[in-house]
Amino acid sequence: MVDLYATLWSFALAGLTLLLTWAFAMLASWLIGRFMRQSSPQVTSGARRLGAVVVWLIGSILAIQELGVSPLILIVVIALVGIAALIAVREPLGNYGAKYFTDVYTPFKVGDAIRVQGYAGKVIAINAITTVLLTDNEQLISVPNSVFITDVVVNTTPQAWKEVTIPISIGPSIDLPAFESELLKNLSKLKLRLDRQFPPLLSTKSRTPQSTDLTLTVMLRRPEERDAVTVEVNKRVAEVLERTRTNRR
Amino acid sequence: MQPLNMCINTQTPLVQFTAAQAPRSGRRTIAPVDLATLTEGVDYRYSPGGVTRMVLPLVRHMLHDQILDEAHWVALNPNAPATVRMSGMTLHSVTLGPKRMASYGMVKEAIWGRVHGIDDTDYHDDLLWTEAFSEYAYYNRITSELIRKLDKKHDFDVFYIHDFQQIPIGHMLTTLKPKIFRWHIPFDRSTIPQHWHALLATYLNSYDAIVVSSPRYADSLKAFGYTGRIEHIYPYVDPKDYSDPAVSDVASVSERFGVKDDDIVALVVARMDPVKAHDRAIDALAELASSFPRLKLVLVGNGSFSSSRDGVGLSKSSRWRAHLEEMVKRSKLEGRIVFTGHLSQHDLDCFYERCSFTILPSVREGFGLVVVESWLHRRPAIISSRAGIADLVREGKNGLLFDPDEPGALARQMRRLLGGHPTELSKGLIRGGSLAAEKCSVEAAVQAERALLTEVMEA
Repeated sequence: MVDLYATLWSFALAGLTLLLTWAFAMLASWLIGRFMRQSSPQVTSGARRLGAVVVWLIGSILAIQELGVSPLILIVVIALVGIAALIAVREPLGNYGAKYFTDVYTPFKVGDAIRVQGYAGKVIAINAITTVLLTDNEQLISVPNSVFITDVVVNTTPQAWKEVTIPISIGPSIDLPAFESELLKNLSKLKLRLDRQFPPLLSTKSRTPQSTDLTLTVMLRRPEERDAVTVEVNKRVAEVLERTRTNRR
Repeated sequence: MQPLNMCINTQTPLVQFTAAQAPRSGRRTIAPVDLATLTEGVDYRYSPGGVTRMVLPLVRHMLHDQILDEAHWVALNPNAPATVRMSGMTLHSVTLGPKRMASYGMVKEAIWGRVHGIDDTDYHDDLLWTEAFSEYAYYNRITSELIRKLDKKHDFDVFYIHDFQQIPIGHMLTTLKPKIFRWHIPFDRSTIPQHWHALLATYLNSYDAIVVSSPRYADSLKAFGYTGRIEHIYPYVDPKDYSDPAVSDVASVSERFGVKDDDIVALVVARMDPVKAHDRAIDALAELASSFPRLKLVLVGNGSFSSSRDGVGLSKSSRWRAHLEEMVKRSKLEGRIVFTGHLSQHDLDCFYERCSFTILPSVREGFGLVVVESWLHRRPAIISSRAGIADLVREGKNGLLFDPDEPGALARQMRRLLGGHPTELSKGLIRGGSLAAEKCSVEAAVQAERALLTEVMEA
C-alpha cells in the first residue's frame, strides 16, 4: 500500500515538474524574445526555440529523476547520439548552419549577381547546403554555404547596397493580413530613412501548415545607415509580431 | 487543351444582395446559397456595367465551349453569403470592416484618379507610405489568402485577376501556376507617379501575362518594364444580352422620364463620376440649346459598386451629380436634361432605341463598351478621343471623335448629326459601327482568350 502511494506521489511530482517545465519554457522563450528584440526575427525565433528545448531537456531529466530512474543513462544516450550525429554530418551541418547565418547576415538573395572565390553568376537557388549560381555561359556553380561565412562575397547587383532583406517566420498563431498591415503602418514611420521610391515589401517565400516564411525588403536612403536601419526594422518587426500574436489571443 | 478549373478575381462582385439576403453581422453562413432559389430584382441584382458585365458572358461561353470545366469567382462583397452557387460557377465573398473599407476605398480612388490623369496633386506621391495603403494591402492579402485556401481545395489550373485594385494579388499569391492579369483602365506611363513605379513594376511582373484593352496601353506597359507576355484583347459584350424593345415599351419608358415624341434625344450612358465628363455634354447642349429647341440630353447611370452604400461606400457619385445639377440650373437647362439614375437593362435598351445618337464624353476611359452597345442598337456614337475604343474608330466612318478638352468640339460633332443632312452620315456611321462591334463580341473574345490560355498553359 505504501509502495503504491509512493509511486503515485512520484508520478505526481514528475507531472508537476513537467508542468513547471512548460511554464519555464514559455517564460524563457518570452524573455529571449524581449532580450533579442533588435536582432533579426529569424535569429530571435531560433534562439527562442533553442531556449525552450534546453528548458524541456532539463525539465525532462528532473522529471525522470522524480520517478526514481537514474537520468545518467538518458544523458549518456543523448550525448552519444549527439556526438555521432555531429561526426556523421559535420560538413553538411556546417553548411546548414552557415545557411542559417547567411540568410540573415549575408547581403544577397536569389536573383542577385554575386562574385565569390573567383566565380561569378546570378544566384538562382539557396538551399540548406549550397548556393547555386548560373554563370553568363549558362554553367551551374554550386558554392557550399560555409564559404559565405569565411570568404569575401561581392554583390554586383546594381544598387545592392540599398536593399535590406529580413527573413521572418510566422506561426499559425499570427494572422498574416493583420501582421502585414500593421508592419507596413509601423514601417511608414521610417520613411525618412528609406528610399521613397521603394516602399517596404513583404513577400511570401514558403508555407507549411506550421509556419509561413516571409521576406521583408526595405531600401535604404543612405548606405551609412544600413546597420542602424536594420536594427530598427528588426525591432519593429519583433514588436508587430508580438502585438499581432497578443491580439490574436 | 483539357477543360480548365479557373479562379477569377474582381473587386466588384458579380451579384449584389439586398438587405434581406445580407448576412447579419458575424452570421455568415458556411453552407453555400443557391442563386436559383432567390429572385433577381428582389433578393439580388447583377452588378451593372464595368468589369463584371464583361467577364460574365466570357465565363458562360467558356463553360459552354468546355474551355472551362469549373469557375470560382472571388470578389469583395461584404453583404453577401460567404459562398453562392450558380450554374457552373461558385462565387466567394471577401468581407472588410467599414473602417478598413474606407481606407481601402481612399487608396483605390487615388490610384484610379492618377492613372486616369484627373488628379495630379503631389499628395498622392506618398500614397504607398500612408496608413491607408496598409489597409489596401490588408484587403488584397485577405483576398489572396482566400484564393490560396480555395486553391488547396479545388486545385485551380489558372488564376485570372481583373482590374487595378487587385494588382498586388499576383505578388501575394505564391504559386507556380499561371497567373493572368487584365488591366481594364488606361495604362499611360506618364500619368503614373515616379514614386509608384518600383512597386507597380514588382506587382505587374508577378503575372505571366497581362491583357490590355488597347494597343497603346500595351506599348506603355512594355516601356514601363513589364517583361511577361502582353496581349491586346478588345473588351466585349454578348449581343444576345441586348433586346429590341417593343415600340410601346420605348414610348412608356420615355414618357416616364418626360421625353416627348418630338424630342431629339442625345444619350450618355455612364456612371456618375467626374472622369465620365457629363459636364462636357451639358456644355455642348447649352451651346446648341437655342438652335435645337427639341434637343434633350438623357444621362443614364448612378454610382458604381465603389459608390454604393453596400459596396466601398465612396460618396463621389452623389457629389458629382449635385455638381451637374447645379450646372444645369446655372445654364438654365432645366427640362432639357434628364437624370434617370440606374436603369434596368430593358429600360436602357428602350433609351438606346429612343435616342438619335449617343455620346461618350469621358476625359479618360479604359475602353468604352457603351459605344459598342450603341453600335449594337444601330445608333451613331460621338466618342472622346481619350477613350480606349477611339483606336477602333475611323472618323466619319464608324464614329465621330472629339477632344473633350477642346471647347466647342463636342457641340460641333453633335451639330453634324443634328443639322444639314444627318441621314447619310448617320447611315454610314451605323453601318461602320455594326462592323466594328463584331470585334468586341464575346465570340471574338472567347477565341482570343482561348488562344491566350493555351499559350500560357503550355508555355
